[in-house]
Amino acid sequence: MEGRRRRWCYWVVTVVHVVGILIFTRGFLLTRTELPYYSHCSDVSQSPCFSPTNNDSLSSSSSSSDSSINSSNINQDQHCWTKPAVDRLVIIVLDALRFDFVAPSTFFPEKKPWMDKLPVLQRLAFKQGSSARIFKAIADPPTTSLQRLKGLTTGGLPTFIDVGNSFGAPAIVEDNFIHQLVINGKRVVMMGDDTWVQLFPHHFNKSYPYPSFNVKDLHTVDNGCIDHLFPSLYQEDWDVLIAHFLGVDHAGHIFGVDSVQMIEKLEQYNLLLEKVIKVLESQSGPGGIHENTLLIVMGDHGQTLNGDHGGGSAEEVETSIFAMSFKQPPVSIPPELDTSSCEQDLDGRKMCTSSIQQLDFAVTVSALLGVSFPFGSIGRVNPELYALGASKWNLEDTGAGDCKNQAKLQEWVQNYVNVLCINAWQVKRYIDVYSASSMIGFSSEDLLHISDIYNQAEGNWSNTKNFLLYENEQGHSLLPALRRQIDAYSNFLSNVSELARSKWTEFNLRMMGIGLAIMLMSVFIIFLAIWQSNRPQIAFPLPSGDSRISFDVIFAFFIVAIRACSLFSNSYILEEGKVAIFLLATTGIVKLQCSIMKKKMLPEAVVFLLLVSVLRFTIEIGLSKQAATSLFLNVSSSWMLRFAPDHPLWTYMSESGPILALILLAWLLYRTISSIYCQGIWKYVIMGTISSYILIAVHWGSESSISSVSSLLQGVGRSYIPRMVYTVGLGQLFLMAFGQLFSKEKALDEKWSLIMKTTAMLSAWSSTIIILSGQQGSLIALASVIGGYCILRLDSMEEDAISGTVRKLNFNPLAVTQWNLLAVCLFFATGHWCAFDGLRYGAAFVGFDEFVLVRQAILLTVESFGFSHILPILGLPFLAVCRYSPGQTNHGKSSIFSLLYPMYMMFGLITTTTVIATLMCVTIQRRHLMVWGLFAPKFVFDVVGLILTDLIICLALIFYSGKGEDRR
Amino acid sequence: MQEEKKKNKKKSYIAKASTAENSSRSVSALQAFFVHLICGLGLAIALWVAHNFYAINLVSDPSRTLRLIWIVQSPIVTLLYSWFRLDPERCSYLKAVGRGMLALPAGALVNALGAIVLGAPVGIEYLPKTINWSVLMSLCTFVPAASVFGSSWSHWQRMFAHTKPNEPLEYMICIPAHGAVIGAWLGAWPMPLDWERPWQEWPVCVTYGAMTGYLVAMVVSLGFVVVHGRRQNLKRD
Repeated sequence: MEGRRRRWCYWVVTVVHVVGILIFTRGFLLTRTELPYYSHCSDVSQSPCFSPTNNDSLSSSSSSSDSSINSSNINQDQHCWTKPAVDRLVIIVLDALRFDFVAPSTFFPEKKPWMDKLPVLQRLAFKQGSSARIFKAIADPPTTSLQRLKGLTTGGLPTFIDVGNSFGAPAIVEDNFIHQLVINGKRVVMMGDDTWVQLFPHHFNKSYPYPSFNVKDLHTVDNGCIDHLFPSLYQEDWDVLIAHFLGVDHAGHIFGVDSVQMIEKLEQYNLLLEKVIKVLESQSGPGGIHENTLLIVMGDHGQTLNGDHGGGSAEEVETSIFAMSFKQPPVSIPPELDTSSCEQDLDGRKMCTSSIQQLDFAVTVSALLGVSFPFGSIGRVNPELYALGASKWNLEDTGAGDCKNQAKLQEWVQNYVNVLCINAWQVKRYIDVYSASSMIGFSSEDLLHISDIYNQAEGNWSNTKNFLLYENEQGHSLLPALRRQIDAYSNFLSNVSELARSKWTEFNLRMMGIGLAIMLMSVFIIFLAIWQSNRPQIAFPLPSGDSRISFDVIFAFFIVAIRACSLFSNSYILEEGKVAIFLLATTGIVKLQCSIMKKKMLPEAVVFLLLVSVLRFTIEIGLSKQAATSLFLNVSSSWMLRFAPDHPLWTYMSESGPILALILLAWLLYRTISSIYCQGIWKYVIMGTISSYILIAVHWGSESSISSVSSLLQGVGRSYIPRMVYTVGLGQLFLMAFGQLFSKEKALDEKWSLIMKTTAMLSAWSSTIIILSGQQGSLIALASVIGGYCILRLDSMEEDAISGTVRKLNFNPLAVTQWNLLAVCLFFATGHWCAFDGLRYGAAFVGFDEFVLVRQAILLTVESFGFSHILPILGLPFLAVCRYSPGQTNHGKSSIFSLLYPMYMMFGLITTTTVIATLMCVTIQRRHLMVWGLFAPKFVFDVVGLILTDLIICLALIFYSGKGEDRR
Repeated sequence: MQEEKKKNKKKSYIAKASTAENSSRSVSALQAFFVHLICGLGLAIALWVAHNFYAINLVSDPSRTLRLIWIVQSPIVTLLYSWFRLDPERCSYLKAVGRGMLALPAGALVNALGAIVLGAPVGIEYLPKTINWSVLMSLCTFVPAASVFGSSWSHWQRMFAHTKPNEPLEYMICIPAHGAVIGAWLGAWPMPLDWERPWQEWPVCVTYGAMTGYLVAMVVSLGFVVVHGRRQNLKRD
């Protein structure tokens, strides 16, 4: 009966873990649902606002006495939601453009070497009566390029996990500005960073992408951009041109902001921009191809002085937008809409910069170009940026004079009010649809509040509308009413964006705290359970007792504590594999010392150290793979011997090695079958695995380039063999479950029946995991067999020494710790790392070509966690077996299960401790630069690993304890 | 059976310890102090020479500096510790020095292997650094023991496996050796941090750690020797 209670106990722990993690995740990993809806031109008729045609008649009736309905009818088909204010748009994105690169140094307390390096922008922006402006653009975290481009084009707030994100491919499925351009018949040209092409695979008329991952390369992307930019500026076959330069970002990542390379880059950009502006200006005369062009030079995010970005610090979120139209000066907008802050320069000139939220970019640019606003945008049309393009329909107003200016201003404000009306309506529609269709929507009181404000603004609008339509002939100023209306809409929009920010970008510390507390509680439960299971024999053993055992306990705790503490630094997380192997090697050396002392098991200790050093090299290969795509990691792979990859001997070895390892594994299993203890179901299961191994060997042989059978099996083997292996594996699992439930035969010997069960279980999983891991699989499997064997031999060395004396702790925590460390090392040695690009997506398609989410996700999980979680946990009984001496059965309670149970508890304890360390570190570092690049992926991997560990432990306890316990 | 073995072991320890006490020169606290002082001074002088005469230090040119240190340190250590060799009647001073010299490369090999298992970089450009570092480590760990104990396995085992030194000479060998190893182990921890300082390179900070550990452990061992001496005096009284 006790056994039942114990099994039940780990289920409790699992449930506590799941609850704690769920609560923590609610507070930390902000999620948002992507909606598959798109805005259409015709939608605007549902809004309470003037449609563009109406609007036209309105504006024309107000500005000039003669109604020009005819002219508006001509243009009608070109209008969508708003009247286009510019025809063409040039967007130059300078990645990681800090605000202080663009703004004059007088805005800052101190002049730094990297300031004022783009003087052309300052000169144009601060020229008297110029139509250019510098904005401080505030980005929202996460400030990584991909998320920012997504935010800029959708006008939303992309979170770390956007639910609905397609598996692996980052293409944007939400409605966005680029999509709107395309469906409205605008032609888009793109050059530079290839992230754009990943995000918008089918949208560009022409694209010249350059790879963005090589951070060390400062010039390829930029030079490519320049090569295509200038010819394009003279062509007429596009409406929107996007050029994305990466030089500043890369220079920052490698050399930092305060470096010669950075300043050189900025100077290069200054020349470039000067040239671009000259070209555009030269053709901006009436009838020129850039008559109505708007130039935007912008950053997607800022960077810290070290060149990092990703987090939410002021340096990272403050970037800049420079916008310039080549028309006469724009309307001067009403002062209450003006957000600019001004400084005097040395000559006493007034220099003003305005401020804009990046959130507002998509909708403002859409309004300027006259396309419908992206469905999911929650931004507001920015008056200052919008005003820059507004001069188009004021061309006829050449005369100066207060009255004329006043009329012009009023007309502009009227138009702006209508745009805001459409804007507010669109945002309200999105909020309604989002909260109706998303599981994790907004709270109802928030929604109610938002609706109240909207209704108020709408009520106001119907008044204003009447006022506009019927009373504007009387000539008195409409401006106060319009201002009130603008305030009402702005209030609504800012409320919405505030709510969305709190929902999508702010952490909920209370939830995180509660989750953490629950996790700590689970540690307490496990501790209690281990203590309980030891109590029947003797009280918890830490103080006093055999010095060696207590040394082992302390050493094990020390190792686990060090590993947990190492998770608090981003550098150690990046090189987690190396840290784990360092600790594993340390335990190996201690064991070697111990074996020298005992004068036995010396070969095992040496083999273990050799294995560790081999694993160490495989982990470094994995790290170098990671470094190729990671922005944070620079690993020199200098140790690698320069093998000529095409050398025939090398190919021969690399292709025959795995197969040989497979044969060795099969032979080991064969040896097991032939032993007398192996019988019944277990024998069939193991035989099934041997046949699977043969199939795998054939599969690999058919893929290899050296064998002659390849042509024979090419057609059949490719997808059928893996599927057969999966089927056999599933069949074995079912068979074992069946055997567990129905077979009544009594085992000869508790110990041997447990060994057989474990072997059968491991072998059933191994074939699937090996084929998923590819050629390295069998080698790693062999390594884990050797490693496991060494650990338990070295552990049993301890056993012999203390048998005879009274036993303190009936298992050795050091061995379990080693087992756990080896598992962690295997995770990294199989070429994984804790990031989403560390997943081996290829494994999901072994044996299948088409994509089915559930099936592929299961395969990917098995591949990722196979060697590091599934096999080690299922193999843990071996440790219990080698600790167990048959003479002990007559002690009554100490059956083999009472050894197994605390071992599993211990394993769970170690995993939980590391996960709690990760949670704490994520909580502490939530404002760290790399929180989205590094800590959050690590968190996801750890949490998934922990839940998987818990589940496997629960199932393993049921499976292995099973009858032995019930019979009692 | 087991107990018998243990008893036997204990007996042999006692016997050996007594023979050791008889046959080796007993070490007074003053002698221990001077041995440690000279070893420490050797390190300091080597670093000083490297800095002032060759204008190099561990950070700017680790492999040359390390080589200089071990070239200065190796005669000091071997000559000093050979003086305290076991069994001075049967083993000449020169033979003890020879043993120390032989142990230098052997100990270096063991240290280098240990470092590689723990993750030291392997590669042509790291080879001289690793070699020089491991020779230095060998000087801190193996050479004194080899000079004193020669091939007496039971002594070696007691020093490095059981870690149970029980007389002044053994304290002087065992504790600094362990101090150097633990210091080097701790010194490896800053290596992965992203501070991008030149001293984070292999083997600079590991060497710093080892030297610090060695120096600290020498002080500790001196303390042990003094305490041991007092206890011995008390017993005699």
